[in-house]
Amino acid sequence: MQWKVGLAVSSDTCRSLNSPFVTILLKIAEPSGQISQKAFEMTVPQFQNFHKQMKELAAVMETI
Amino acid sequence: MRISFFCRAKFDFWKILKVTFGVNMLLVLSEEHKEHLNFLNKVDAAVVGEFGRIALEFLRRGISPKVYEGAARKLSVPVEAVRHGVEGLMYLMTQSSKHMLSEVDFVDSLLSLEFGDELNQSLLQMYQQHRGEIRSILSLVPSSLPAYHNLEWRLDVQLASRCLRQQVAPTLATRLHLTHGGARGSGAEQPSSRRVLHVDLATLLHLISILEGALAALKSTHTRRILRNVK
Repeated sequence: MQWKVGLAVSSDTCRSLNSPFVTILLKIAEPSGQISQKAFEMTVPQFQNFHKQMKELAAVMETI
Repeated sequence: MRISFFCRAKFDFWKILKVTFGVNMLLVLSEEHKEHLNFLNKVDAAVVGEFGRIALEFLRRGISPKVYEGAARKLSVPVEAVRHGVEGLMYLMTQSSKHMLSEVDFVDSLLSLEFGDELNQSLLQMYQQHRGEIRSILSLVPSSLPAYHNLEWRLDVQLASRCLRQQVAPTLATRLHLTHGGARGSGAEQPSSRRVLHVDLATLLHLISILEGALAALKSTHTRRILRNVK
């Protein structure tokens, strides 16, 4: 998994955006054996939610 | 074929262009086609109008054999005769529209059928009324390349990544919307596909210079000459 943090400065719809975001690139091994890449973007609140859920997941895994 | 434009011998290319756009053409109907169309001579004007309407509908939406059976029953003629009549009419209309036949040429092409004046006039009216629509249907037939629909962009600055912190790397994230199929400019384009592309600034500047070069080619004397003659 790779990640990067960026700042969206402006766009064609909004000239002064200034919104931070996180991009995650996941390399997935498909059942067929091929490796595919999935990238997705999250805003800071979305990322914080993602982080919280991953932590919960990790906690559950520990109890198994 | 009557060539009504004066062709300059200087450029062979221009000759071809002018002959293509200036020629007066006549449709040459095959014996089989003439036989099929002769059915129209044996029915009255209302039926010809109805056949015309059916032919247009079939051009728009495809052929439906049930209509032939219904019409054949009403007229007490074999289904084949109805089918040949309608399809012959469809072919006549599409070929005339394809070549952009003038009114005079359309009527001249019908001379070999020896139809009465009234029939000729109603066929001519049918052609004139629907020529534009038939041409736009014909233009939909070949599947075209995906075409530009819209480009959304967003300027991002990458601040950090898993491997490198404390960065300042500007990139452009773009979403290119493409449409597939359908004539350009018509509302008939099929749902588009979208591609997300990331462009770094050097590539972006290169892209801009290439596109500006393409626009400049529009203003060259060579292109201007062609556009002037095509109009």
